[in-house]
Amino acid sequence: MGKPDPDKKHWLISQSELESWLDGIANARTLIAPRLEAGLLLYRPVTKSDEIAWNRQLPRSSPSGRPVLSVKEIFFPPTEVLFSIKKTGQEIHLAESFPDWETVVFGVRPCDAHGVKLLDALFLDTNPVDSFYARRRENTTLIGLTCQSLESTCFCTSVGGAPDDAHDVDIMLIETDEGFLVEAVTEKGRFLIPGGEWKETTVTHRSSNYAAQFPVPDKDNWPEHFNDDYWSKISERCLSCRACAYVCPTCRCFAVRDETISPGEFERIRCWDACAGENYRRVAGGHKPRAEKGERLRNRFYCKFYYYPEQYGLGTASACTGCGRCIEVCPAGVDITEVLIDLEKPA
Amino acid sequence: MNENPMLPYLGKLVEVRDLASEIKLFRVEMLNGGGEAFKSFQPGQFAFVSAFGLGEAPFGIANSCGRGPTVDFAVARLGSVTTGLHELGEGDMVGVRGPLGNWFPMKKFKGKNLIVLGGGIGGAPLRPVIQHVLDHRADFGTLTILWAARHPSLLVFTEEYNEWRAAPDTYLHLTVDNPDEKWDQNVGLITQLLEKVTPSPENSVTITCGPPIMIHFVTKMLQEKLGFNPKNNYVTLEARMHCGMGKCGRCNLGEKLICVDGPVFNMEEVGGLLETYL
Amino acid sequence: MYEPRIIAFLCSWCSYTGADTAGIARIKSPANIRAIRVPCSGRVSPELVMRAFDQGADGVLVLGCHIGECHYDTGNHRAAKRLPILKSLLTFAGLEPERIRLDWVSASEGDRFSRLAGEFTDSVRALGPVQWRVSHDWKPVPKWNLPATQEVIPYPETDFTAKEDAIRAKARELLANGQVSCVIGYELSRRGRTRPVFIYAPEEANRLVWNQDCTNNLTTYLTGKLRPVKGKEPPKPVAVVVKPCDSKAINVMVAENQYRRDQVYALGVSCEGIQGPDGNLQTRCVTCQEAVPIVCDALISGATSSFIPRLSSYAKEEITKLQDAAPSDRMEFWLEQFDRCIRCYACRQACPMCKCPECLYERDESTFVGLGIRLNEKRTFHLGRAYHLAGRCVGCNECERACPMNIPIGLLNQKLAEEIEAAFDHRAGLAVVPSPIVTVLSGEYKEG
Repeated sequence: MGKPDPDKKHWLISQSELESWLDGIANARTLIAPRLEAGLLLYRPVTKSDEIAWNRQLPRSSPSGRPVLSVKEIFFPPTEVLFSIKKTGQEIHLAESFPDWETVVFGVRPCDAHGVKLLDALFLDTNPVDSFYARRRENTTLIGLTCQSLESTCFCTSVGGAPDDAHDVDIMLIETDEGFLVEAVTEKGRFLIPGGEWKETTVTHRSSNYAAQFPVPDKDNWPEHFNDDYWSKISERCLSCRACAYVCPTCRCFAVRDETISPGEFERIRCWDACAGENYRRVAGGHKPRAEKGERLRNRFYCKFYYYPEQYGLGTASACTGCGRCIEVCPAGVDITEVLIDLEKPA
Repeated sequence: MNENPMLPYLGKLVEVRDLASEIKLFRVEMLNGGGEAFKSFQPGQFAFVSAFGLGEAPFGIANSCGRGPTVDFAVARLGSVTTGLHELGEGDMVGVRGPLGNWFPMKKFKGKNLIVLGGGIGGAPLRPVIQHVLDHRADFGTLTILWAARHPSLLVFTEEYNEWRAAPDTYLHLTVDNPDEKWDQNVGLITQLLEKVTPSPENSVTITCGPPIMIHFVTKMLQEKLGFNPKNNYVTLEARMHCGMGKCGRCNLGEKLICVDGPVFNMEEVGGLLETYL
Repeated sequence: MYEPRIIAFLCSWCSYTGADTAGIARIKSPANIRAIRVPCSGRVSPELVMRAFDQGADGVLVLGCHIGECHYDTGNHRAAKRLPILKSLLTFAGLEPERIRLDWVSASEGDRFSRLAGEFTDSVRALGPVQWRVSHDWKPVPKWNLPATQEVIPYPETDFTAKEDAIRAKARELLANGQVSCVIGYELSRRGRTRPVFIYAPEEANRLVWNQDCTNNLTTYLTGKLRPVKGKEPPKPVAVVVKPCDSKAINVMVAENQYRRDQVYALGVSCEGIQGPDGNLQTRCVTCQEAVPIVCDALISGATSSFIPRLSSYAKEEITKLQDAAPSDRMEFWLEQFDRCIRCYACRQACPMCKCPECLYERDESTFVGLGIRLNEKRTFHLGRAYHLAGRCVGCNECERACPMNIPIGLLNQKLAEEIEAAFDHRAGLAVVPSPIVTVLSGEYKEG
């Protein structure tokens, strides 16, 4: 998805130059940026740059600027119509429609951008290609923004990320005292940059060396803990809701349903689902695998650190971006960092 | 751009008949692009069948490609999609997505003796194996079929038993848990029948399909009592599925997805998995 | 000229026959009425009415037998109790109340049927086409600014050690003498957040804490913990640390035969209140009426009472502001709130009362509401869930606290609690009494 920009140009722009650039983008395309809504920071469409929640306006719920939901919902929305169905007598007519508008997402945090990369492995790089995700991905440009501080729940540095990692965006912005340093990471990003009166600079941004907060077990260390009774112990407080999976940048389980619009008219939709639910694997005959909460919670962690990486060829990386949202939203205090630290300890 | 892989082909029901109590056989004639997609499919593969407006569900393809070009599905009425399918008749349209999944390695089985064990509607995905062997009889050794059900009314494909028995070197053994007055054959679980038949592991492979608990006890007996090497015991597993193509994540058995790494597995693979299918 | 589409639920024994009588006698009735025959008006559940509006009905008319004449004795009593509560809920969500009507027509009253049908159709016609279902790409224009609670009370300086020690001592004692198999309480996680903990041995009692962040309603875990498992020994009693609001949930669940009173040992803590994320008292605490737990086997109280005088009704100003607004404004308010919902079900799972093995709003057949994470469905889920909690919700407000998207769903529960109290003089959880709008078919608790 991202051919590197061969020119490797950098610019230094002011806040007002940034704002008028974004205003221009919003006029021609759909611009999505972090916005305040009901005291929450969310990636939402904006029509003007003054609707964006800038660093000085961050809410108490997100002091470092991490929106409650990741950018996953832009490429893999909570509900997607796969096709519509019209039934007249014995005749069936199916019709599809695909998303085709150009979108620019501004203010993408490195953890979220990395989440998109991880979803690419599933939706794009593994056959069959998902046509909805592919179209949205092709029509979207990501403008990243480095984090100036970490939330208490962030741990991207422990899973191979960094608050200023520019790998997975098309353009990276770094807020400095002199203004915004703009780096074109890919050709797609370069295309969006007006250049023109912007001041070019030779100052480049080098991703700082961040130490991991704590060591994370290798993928191959997970199988030996599968039958530990650790999982049923830590899952007692789990409520089997789906908050963690829905705010996660990489959780991708979905359900497929037919919904009735009117007699003879239906839609087949797919919508978010999560393995935490008790009836997630229940079959029509009544058999219910993973009936125990411990089995379900274990599946979520194993999928993140072992199954998904195995299935979709992530090498040594995990499917966790260390964004920490799951820790923040869990109503019952389940903490993924505790699990990672505990698994690293000798038995 | 790419085709939408979730869009099904349309298929017309050319035959709908009762197979057993609350189990029907649907014979589908694939239309348009579906004919091309289903020109060749292997024993063990499955497809999603849509009752439009209600949903779709995965079903094992119940015939061999050689007996096509129509595609057979055996459907037990258990939930909303299967009830919707049961209400359809000849001439009605369904959606079909597939063929999906992996298949029984029939090439590897050439020259071997095959033991096929089917429990209840689990027999349906085994029928293509039986048909394939019968249509290429000289390529395989003996074919021993152990067919079980809870009650005679739940035995599937009864009208084909004579064809199976009539083939050379082919043996059919039936058993039911609860007989009716007319039943004159074995009574008991399939494991008891297996103990009676005692197939030899010499140059043999087994293929088992049925409820998880049956697969468990049958494969246990095959390995512990009859001396089979687990890598010669093949099974076809199932789980709740929504996409069937390795995207939605639902059907995982530990690190494997039943829809793309299966549904056919051998027991050596299954034994190495983190999760059990039980 | 728009002609309203009216769905009329008519009971087989009386009103449907009454409609027939009108027809046979050639008394004219409006053609707008689409009749759905039900065995009894008591069958008309709120899901059916909401489904009708979700699918575009302009009005819903429910006609049953006269009170005292129901073929099933008390079926129409159910309708008489439930439908006005549903109506007040849908009105609160922005539907005009004149679009729902419940009345009584006997089999011989053809005239009456025709008159009621005509009157209802006329009044719905006058309202204009219904604005209820929204298109999938409806987007809110954020404009509502609810006040935070009318009085923000900062969390007072409090010394928790006495209560914390008492909880630990009691837990130690209960586990040591085998009276309970488990104590459900609060602990501090490694990153310092207060969260539920399950302890099984007396030595673990020192993990228990008591502080301003003990927000979870721990009774939600009781149903799972006390569920009998076939073939296994009946579960041993469980102790649970409860605040006054939490403890009321035990009464509700015992009344509904989810578990027995003697299976629960309530470690009741008299509570100063719980802190919200902004450092102030949580809104439910601002209006709390009960300082001492209602259900209590051992009372953990502080040396001095630091009970702060409370306001009489939770979120009164917010509810009043909504009620005073025009229906369309009210509707837009709720649509704006539900637009943020992601249907994660944190609200439902946190609730001690939401324990249906399969939630009605998540059934595969999706009969009453679709499974899509879309605005119409999300609203129906929340309204339906609030209705299912009417007379059962004890106001712990954990649903709202658990919501990651800041949706003020507690307002729905509070509004219905007010309606139930006004109509039935009932407040959930003060005694072992089921909700007045719930029909209990069998009172026997079965073992194993």
